[in-house]
Amino acid sequence: MHIDWFVFFAQIVNFLILVYLLKKLLYGRILDAMDAREAKINATFDEAEKSREDAQLAAAESEKKLQSLNEEYETLQNKARTDAEAYHKDLMDSARQEVEKIQARWVQTVNAERDAFLHDLRRLAGVQIYAIARRVLKDLADEDLEEKIATVMVTRIQDLKDDEKTKFMESLKEGNRLIVQSAYEMPPGARKKLDDVVKRFIAADIEVEYERSPEVMTGFEMKTDGHKIAWSVNDYLNTLEENFIEALYAESREKEEIQSKEGALA
Amino acid sequence: MEIVAIDQISPDQVILFQLGFITINATLMYTWLVMAILVIVSILVTRRLSSGRTLSRGQNVMEVIVGGILKEISEISRERAKHYFPFIATLFLFIALSNVLTFIPGYVAPTSSLTTTGSLAVCVFFAVPIFGISSQGILEYLKEYFRPNFLFFPFHVMGELSRTLALAVRLFGNLMSHEKVVAILLAVTPLLFPIVMQVLGLLIGIIQAYIFSILAMVYIASATQSHEEHPQHAQS
Repeated sequence: MHIDWFVFFAQIVNFLILVYLLKKLLYGRILDAMDAREAKINATFDEAEKSREDAQLAAAESEKKLQSLNEEYETLQNKARTDAEAYHKDLMDSARQEVEKIQARWVQTVNAERDAFLHDLRRLAGVQIYAIARRVLKDLADEDLEEKIATVMVTRIQDLKDDEKTKFMESLKEGNRLIVQSAYEMPPGARKKLDDVVKRFIAADIEVEYERSPEVMTGFEMKTDGHKIAWSVNDYLNTLEENFIEALYAESREKEEIQSKEGALA
Repeated sequence: MEIVAIDQISPDQVILFQLGFITINATLMYTWLVMAILVIVSILVTRRLSSGRTLSRGQNVMEVIVGGILKEISEISRERAKHYFPFIATLFLFIALSNVLTFIPGYVAPTSSLTTTGSLAVCVFFAVPIFGISSQGILEYLKEYFRPNFLFFPFHVMGELSRTLALAVRLFGNLMSHEKVVAILLAVTPLLFPIVMQVLGLLIGIIQAYIFSILAMVYIASATQSHEEHPQHAQS
């Protein structure tokens, strides 16, 4: 096998030249371009990673903000609810107080009206009863009511027990005046009868005065400073009044029951 | 047709110009052709390099080739791949292109000449100590020849020489024998079968280029890494 040593060394030189040329023209440039691209890709990835981290941070922050907003919203809602409840309670209290006040005023008015009515009723009824009694007595027994009352007084004075008499006398000591009050003018016959009885059974030196008093209304009263002997239709009137009030309340109760039933049904 | 003799198919025998000891034969001419193609393609491809997202097809192909070679070298040498890269990559590209161009009628691969493969093997022969010394210093490198003891020095030297010879002869033998086989087959069956052999020849050419450059890399790596590995062996 023949080897041309010139060609042999020329090939070595050729190869070394090729190494140099390719290193200059190809490898360096291509590798630089690849490195540059790799660096760019890495930079892009880093940037993407950074963007992702930023986005995660932003998302976390938003989440946190949303949570705090929710908490704030709940707090505000609770506060609003509490305030509303308190305001509602205040309003209810004031309304209740107002209602109670109105009710009290109304009850007061009703009571006053009732009292006035009962007073009138009592007065009218007394007058009426008195007139009726007088007329009944006149028609049936041909007797005067005042006379009859005087007779009752006389009987009472006569029936006084000793200690009662003593008490009566003691209260008379200061003035020796006995006042007899009546709603109507006492007839002279009756006066005389009373005078006699008083002087005979209580004390001889007593001066009896007769007065007309609308307060007595029906009947009469024999008063000293501390005691009195009386007869009037007041007792009957009291009974009447009680019965009347009871009847009145019974009626109103029935009405209330009906109203409450209707309210429950509605 | 007479079967072509080895002397006659070697491009060394085709002398184009001779002046004294200066001989310009087909081997040199085809070598220059391959060099010219490599350099021109390199210039064309690297003229407009892009480091962005879009890149030209030529750049893409070159990046695949260069990146592939760099990866192979990295796997063998583990580190300093870029240091050996120009030498190994040029070996591969030159041999591969020389072998691949054989599909052109009239072209004879310069690598089918023992002169060329021998000169390449000599380059490797010298590259091994150069890289080894640059890597670990002359003393450490020379110590390798006396390991495990001085008796092994002749064997080391013999090993260096024989593997250089093996490199040269392996490439030359493969390429030359391939061309010889194709020439014989052309005489026996002129149609179709030589084409199949040509295709096989392309594959063999690429494989031989790969084997040559990988072996060169392995030799260089063994020379540069032996020093670094010894302390580890001692420890283990």
